[in-house]
Amino acid sequence: MKINQEAHTSHISQKFNEELEDIRSQLLEMGGLVEKQVQDAVDSLVDGDSRLASEVRKKDKQVNQLQVEIDEICTHILARRQPAASDLRLVLAVIRATSDLERIGDEASKIAKATLRLAEEGTSPRGYIEARHLGSQVRQMVQDALNAFARFDTAQALAVLREDDKVDLEYRSATRALITFMMEDPRSISQVMNIMWVLRSLERVGDHASNLAEYVIYLVEGEDVRYTKTEKIEKVIRHEEDEVEGNLLGQDQPDKDE
Amino acid sequence: MTTSEKQRTHGMNMDALDRDSGSSELKLSQETPCIVTRDMNLFYGETQALKNISMEIPKNRVTAFIGPSGCGKSTLLRSFNRMNDLIDGVRITGEVNIDDQNIYDRRVDVADLRRRVGMVFQKPNPFPKSIYENVAYGLRIQGINNRRILDEAVEWALKSAAIWEETKDRLHESALGMSGGQQQRLVIARTIAVKPEILLLDEPASALDPISTLKIEELIHDLKDRFSIVIVTHNMQQAARVSDYTAFMYLGEMVEYDNTDTLFTNPAKKQTEDYITGRYG
Amino acid sequence: MRLSFKDWTKSGSPWIWLNAGAVAISVILVLGLIGIIAIRGLAHFWPADLQQSMATDMQGQKRMMLGEVVQKEQVTAEQLRGAGHQVDVEDDFLERQLFKVGNRDLYGFDFRWVLTRNLENVEYPEHAVAVERREWGNFYGYLLEIKEHGETIGTQPLGENLLWEEAKERIDRAVDIYWQIHALEKQDIGAINYELEQLRLEERRLELEGQDTPENLAQIEEERQHWDQEYQALLQQLSKLNEDFSRDSFVMRTTDGQQIEIGLDNIVRAFQPNSMNVLEKLGHYAAKVWEFVSEDPREANTEGGIFPAIFGTVLMVLIMSVIVTPFGVMAAVYLREYAKQGFLTRTIRIAVNNLAGVPSIVYGVFGLGFFVYFVGGTLDEVFYPEALPAPTFGTPGLMWASLTLALLTLPVVIVATEEGLSRIPRSVREGSLALGATKAETLWRVVLPMASPAMMTGVILAVARAAGEVAPLMLVGVVKLAPNLPLDGNAPFLHLDRQFMHLGFHIYDVGFQSPNVEAARPLVYATALMLVAVIAALNLTAIAIRNRLREKYRALDM
Repeated sequence: MKINQEAHTSHISQKFNEELEDIRSQLLEMGGLVEKQVQDAVDSLVDGDSRLASEVRKKDKQVNQLQVEIDEICTHILARRQPAASDLRLVLAVIRATSDLERIGDEASKIAKATLRLAEEGTSPRGYIEARHLGSQVRQMVQDALNAFARFDTAQALAVLREDDKVDLEYRSATRALITFMMEDPRSISQVMNIMWVLRSLERVGDHASNLAEYVIYLVEGEDVRYTKTEKIEKVIRHEEDEVEGNLLGQDQPDKDE
Repeated sequence: MTTSEKQRTHGMNMDALDRDSGSSELKLSQETPCIVTRDMNLFYGETQALKNISMEIPKNRVTAFIGPSGCGKSTLLRSFNRMNDLIDGVRITGEVNIDDQNIYDRRVDVADLRRRVGMVFQKPNPFPKSIYENVAYGLRIQGINNRRILDEAVEWALKSAAIWEETKDRLHESALGMSGGQQQRLVIARTIAVKPEILLLDEPASALDPISTLKIEELIHDLKDRFSIVIVTHNMQQAARVSDYTAFMYLGEMVEYDNTDTLFTNPAKKQTEDYITGRYG
Repeated sequence: MRLSFKDWTKSGSPWIWLNAGAVAISVILVLGLIGIIAIRGLAHFWPADLQQSMATDMQGQKRMMLGEVVQKEQVTAEQLRGAGHQVDVEDDFLERQLFKVGNRDLYGFDFRWVLTRNLENVEYPEHAVAVERREWGNFYGYLLEIKEHGETIGTQPLGENLLWEEAKERIDRAVDIYWQIHALEKQDIGAINYELEQLRLEERRLELEGQDTPENLAQIEEERQHWDQEYQALLQQLSKLNEDFSRDSFVMRTTDGQQIEIGLDNIVRAFQPNSMNVLEKLGHYAAKVWEFVSEDPREANTEGGIFPAIFGTVLMVLIMSVIVTPFGVMAAVYLREYAKQGFLTRTIRIAVNNLAGVPSIVYGVFGLGFFVYFVGGTLDEVFYPEALPAPTFGTPGLMWASLTLALLTLPVVIVATEEGLSRIPRSVREGSLALGATKAETLWRVVLPMASPAMMTGVILAVARAAGEVAPLMLVGVVKLAPNLPLDGNAPFLHLDRQFMHLGFHIYDVGFQSPNVEAARPLVYATALMLVAVIAALNLTAIAIRNRLREKYRALDM
């Protein structure tokens, strides 16, 4: 059954409502923080701002701390409330999302580290434009995924998944261009490699953002759409289930017959 | 897992339950049905307690009925071995088929039906006899008095009900001296001693402490290879733990009947969702 | 302090006091009742000392008196003056004593009121003898002579006690012979009489059926000869015993000088209460109590025991229980388990409950009219035509008494059983039904055993009620003196057609129908105590059975 964002406010137990609301808002808070981290990391790289980069690396601890806190609340809810159906899916989605968000935070931290290295080793002759571009794209993805989470908006989640394909394309063309550049100018390899790592991190951020989007679909639709092609996901969202079957590996049941 | 196996597995999961129909008419295509009801209605006098129940209950599986009090789940369960006959003013239309025979047919011998469809009740109800005589009761009713046969049957039933170790040294003591959980397992042993095909459990653990409850659940799990089990429970977690299929009933209607995993993670109906997650209905 | 009463009321203690007071009063009443009955009844068996004194009667004549002091009481002077006594003006009350002086054959009465002030020379002579006789009540006096076959074998002067040991031995011997005669008459001769009567009936039956062929009659005659021979033999034995029995006699002297010869065949026991120590008195007491509960009554129920009454009461109650239990249980099972719970069933239930409130004498009338005359009369015509016109079952008897009381107590059993059935948890019945048992099997194997404590409760109540009933029994089978017990050694052993004795009726008879009121009074108390004890014993037995059942079916407290 499809649910909406009001779904978690109508329990007979008011305390349960509050707890679910709590993990949702904490997740969004964590998401906001992570999004800011990505933004700051990319900005520090592009601007060569070492101070900002150090701040990003410092704030990563805060992100980790938030993940631990949210996970703990989720554990308590599982233990005490034994949630079912949409509640269970919400808690699971939040647990998974925190882990992805934490990974995004790690990637931001890696970018900040690259900024610091570049500041020591000298700037890269190329790649900043690609990084800025990819950076804003994935940051938008993270933001959209979080919005989709906040609004239980599967359409937006699907858009994020589509965006990820574009990001992958962009990443591949950017790396190809940088490899070509390095082949032409082997002296700059070490600096360009830093940018390459940054691009790689940004691509990973995009992947994590699309994971978040998948969780939103799981949360709202009850279908696990990981490792599923976008077109099939679209059918899930539109409830054209006839063709979905057979591909939904996530719907793995214990094989009672065998 | 080969592709064809995969297809079958998923085929069962999704196909087994025709979820699009939007009515309570649900079918299990991959299972062998043991109880099939068709358009079954049940009236207590003027009030209708069950409305248009059409369902198939699979063989050698655990099927759970959940729903709020008064939703008719116990009534439905009791209509499978005609326990409702004992209540005045009950009228039933439609069919309840077991082994392709409508059990409400006039030719059906009710005592024989009840022997084939055993039932365990909410409160442990051992007879005020010895443990041995409790288990042997059903067999004695059938006229079996051969000591050797009874001994074997009693031992088999008590072992099957996982209570042999606790009782083997006091078989001839009163069953009323046992704890509630032991009594309930004794009652289960008593019921399976007559080797029924189907075991109906009407909230079998609701009067027991959590550990006894778990023992009963474990027992249900062990027994499902040999019996088709239908269980009514108020405890949704229990339904989720023990059953393969779960039916949610509300106000005499079968709202949703599905694979337990599906029903508890992603129910199709809002009423089900609201009930299993504890929301205002 | 103004509010204190209100507070006190509010605290609930007035109610507690009231309740406790009610309980206390009940307990006192019960204990007082049993106490009075027990003291009055049991004191009767104690061997009281014999008091000898010189009494002056109203005419101023002096007379020696020997007897037991039974009672002392204060009477008003007014009353005495009315009776013609000279009483001083200053005396308001005077004490008077009731003496049991015995010797009814000599004096014509055995109790006598004497004013204490008229007694002189009160003493307790050591060798005064009290003799319990089979006729004429007690004799109080002194032993003078022992005779055998009318010849004196020993004498003693007044005030000596030389012959006492010899006398006791001879009494023991005589009592021994008495029991032999008793056994012979009751058992052997009784059996032969019974057989002869059967033969007579057999002959009559053959006659009625037209089967009185010479062969048959000859056979009967042959048997009769055989029994007659045995009878003659026994009769000889008996007359020999009787001769032995009347061998000895005592010459006794009353305190006022009359002499009398008492045959030992007329003596139950003799004793010298004034020279007995407490231990001997206790032994005597126990023997008397035992005699009371184990022997037949004598002298219009004023002496001897009440064994037939105890036996009759218990047997009647047992037969009643045997009849009423299955009937009541079956009726209750049908009403509760099978009957459709509609208007008719409700009406029947109300009718049954009201039946419990019908006065018992009405049952007696019904029993007499229906059971005795109609059923019994029909039975006689169909099965016992040979005995007619003497009725067999068409007369009050044990069977009709038991049936009447069974009818009387049926509602109690029905109600109690129904109550018990309704308390069996539905889950247990369902458990049985779910195992493939039919309703009848469930009832028989599970429900009825579990309801058995309730049935026993019903039986307990029924027994309590039936054992105490007298009024209906007077119409349907109880007599003041039954010649035979309803249970004996002659086939078919249990004679349901016989009339029997009953403690309740015995009390009535002894208390109100007895010619000798003073002698009977303590027996009334003793019999009442016995009745209470019998009912208590019956009830306790039933309660013990019920408790055992309860323990066994200590049902699943639901």
